Amino acid sequence: MTIKSIILPVLAFSALAPAAHAADIEFWHGNTGETEAAILAHCEAFNASQDAHTITCIGQGGYEAGMQKAIAAYRSNEHPALIQFFDAGTLDLMLSDAVLPVSDLLPDVDWSDYNTGARGYYETSTGAMFSQPYNGSTLVFYANMDMLGEVGVTEVPQTWERVIEVARLLQADGHACPFVTDGHPWRVLEQFSARHGTAIATNNNGYGGLDAEYNFNTGPVADHLANLAAWREEGLVRLNADTAAGNYVAAFNAGECAMMEASSGSFGGIRAALGDAAALGMAPMYEGVERRNTFIGGASIWVMKGHEDADYEAATAFLNFVRETEQQIEMTRMTGNLPVTMTALNELVASGRATEPEFATAEMGVASLNQPGNENSRGIRLGFYVQFRDVFIEETQRAFNGEQPMQTALDNAVARGNELLRRFEQTYQGVALP
Amino acid sequence: MQKGFYSGRWTYAALVAPILVLIFLFFYVPVGLAFFWSLFLERPFGGGSQFVGLDNFARVLSDAEFWDALKRTAIFMIVAPSLAIGISLMLALAADRGLRGSSAARNIIIWPKAVAGASIGVVFVFVFNPFLGIFAPLNEIWPGFWNPRIDGTDAFITIVVAQVWNGIPFNFIILLSGLQTIPDTVTKAAVMDGASPWRRVWDIQIPLLTPQLFLTFVLEFVGTVVEAFGLIDTMTEGGPGGATTLLIYKIYVDGFKAYDLSGAATQTVILMLFVLIMVALQFRLEKHVKYER
Repeated sequence: MTIKSIILPVLAFSALAPAAHAADIEFWHGNTGETEAAILAHCEAFNASQDAHTITCIGQGGYEAGMQKAIAAYRSNEHPALIQFFDAGTLDLMLSDAVLPVSDLLPDVDWSDYNTGARGYYETSTGAMFSQPYNGSTLVFYANMDMLGEVGVTEVPQTWERVIEVARLLQADGHACPFVTDGHPWRVLEQFSARHGTAIATNNNGYGGLDAEYNFNTGPVADHLANLAAWREEGLVRLNADTAAGNYVAAFNAGECAMMEASSGSFGGIRAALGDAAALGMAPMYEGVERRNTFIGGASIWVMKGHEDADYEAATAFLNFVRETEQQIEMTRMTGNLPVTMTALNELVASGRATEPEFATAEMGVASLNQPGNENSRGIRLGFYVQFRDVFIEETQRAFNGEQPMQTALDNAVARGNELLRRFEQTYQGVALP
Repeated sequence: MQKGFYSGRWTYAALVAPILVLIFLFFYVPVGLAFFWSLFLERPFGGGSQFVGLDNFARVLSDAEFWDALKRTAIFMIVAPSLAIGISLMLALAADRGLRGSSAARNIIIWPKAVAGASIGVVFVFVFNPFLGIFAPLNEIWPGFWNPRIDGTDAFITIVVAQVWNGIPFNFIILLSGLQTIPDTVTKAAVMDGASPWRRVWDIQIPLLTPQLFLTFVLEFVGTVVEAFGLIDTMTEGGPGGATTLLIYKIYVDGFKAYDLSGAATQTVILMLFVLIMVALQFRLEKHVKYER
């Protein structure tokens, strides 16, 4: 075998390759576990379904890490054409001038087919969609019916009053962990305020302009957090740190805790761990408050600027592919994430599969997203919101471990959050909210 | 010019050039950029950065979180090196006296040097786990006695223990080798004069060990400021409630997780000045170090 005989075929192949593929693009995502498996299945299926384009899907290990790497990559012009970002980064991205609204790239798509919660979060004031909702999830309530059955409870609690009633029964029966949460603001602040129809900041959570101010330190959110702190003192509510598993979902899956609020995207893992004992309902309300829609969680796909037309053709093809009903249903089946278009949900229901256990989150989750909304339940349009989440966690942890009262924690979080908003406003001076 | 090993000065230049280029690229350029960014308000994705003068410094210096982080850093800088050097000194004195088992100990004590900071963090998370770790039995007696996941003081202690454990091997080697260079004759003379072992430690060994003690102090001080990062990131991520957010970790969080490049750059500049001042103070201390024997 001569060197020539090796080199020539390689050269021939590399010469042919560009002709066979219109574009090779990258798609960065931030998921792990079941959702990552579903994303990789989409990528493989897309590459197998056509031979004009090739997509390479690269996991970044987390939403925050993905965003950090995207910032570094964009500044050095090494960024991918498509990238998955999470809900909290929405305004930072909208004003970044690094992304192309998907409705500009794909003007023919019927964006009104996306469910209310998803549209409200990623839509501009003029109706343009900035990103394509992908692995959409929302907050739901999970109960271990085996454990609830031991104290004679057969229905999943719908209200906080009932949750605590059941928690007291469980505690009296010797359960150390009736209800578990991590106190993350997505669960205890954002989703709570949305479905109770109250805002966390003025200007309808920032939709009205960059001069919004946080105001959740009075009203329903403040009451709820004070309750959580009191219930934890009573031993009815447990935090990550109080569980042997160290994490609320793991503690629920291990049968250590009986109830929790968590993402619908956790359902795949929960079902694998608990089987039919796992029951779910919409996230609980306080009695006497009208239920509004919850926010969409999970992440959406953003198109980044600075690529060639051929890359955008490939990106368009991939975005169209994952929007197909069949692909959405496959994602739902594998992970518990929700179908994001109404067409996909309707077809799932029409096919009769929606009642199968692995699709349990679909109808309930979308119903939660499609509850009548108000001006405060569209979404969050607040700058440096990722950092604000850390501030909120830090301050409330200090309340949970007894360093300060919960009210002080919320006041501090509001004050520090407002500083972030003012700096964001200054950073994007002269940029209009789209 | 003194006649050296190489003939021309260009040979010298060529030989030092690679390292100078590296230092320039990976130290002076980033430091320069940090100074530059600290005067601007920088957008995360670039474009539209605006000059704000010393606004960033005013913002950082009026931020209570910054001062808390600096205070924690200062406490950590005093507690961790004192323990790391104190314990190493005791071990080194014991090994130097040739107590039974000291030759084996000499080997074993330096093994932890081979473990990376992040790995130490992972191991200590298990060691100090409130449900499975060494303090779990105490938790059964007094529930809630030990939980570094929610109690800030407990978390701070775990970071200090891990840092000290990490620092002991190197300090031990340096101090032991220092002790072994102390001439036998001095010790023998002291014994003849009837000096007890403790007296010899205070009046002979420690004074003659000052160069090594000084070296370990300088390295430990700088190490606590910059090397604690791996431990914090793997063990506590700055929590709970920010109780283990030292300045170096705050800079990382602000810059990378919060996209506040200007704030992170500003704090980097302040941290650099802080370390420079600390080292300058230490070198004033060096006047008391006796290098001659």
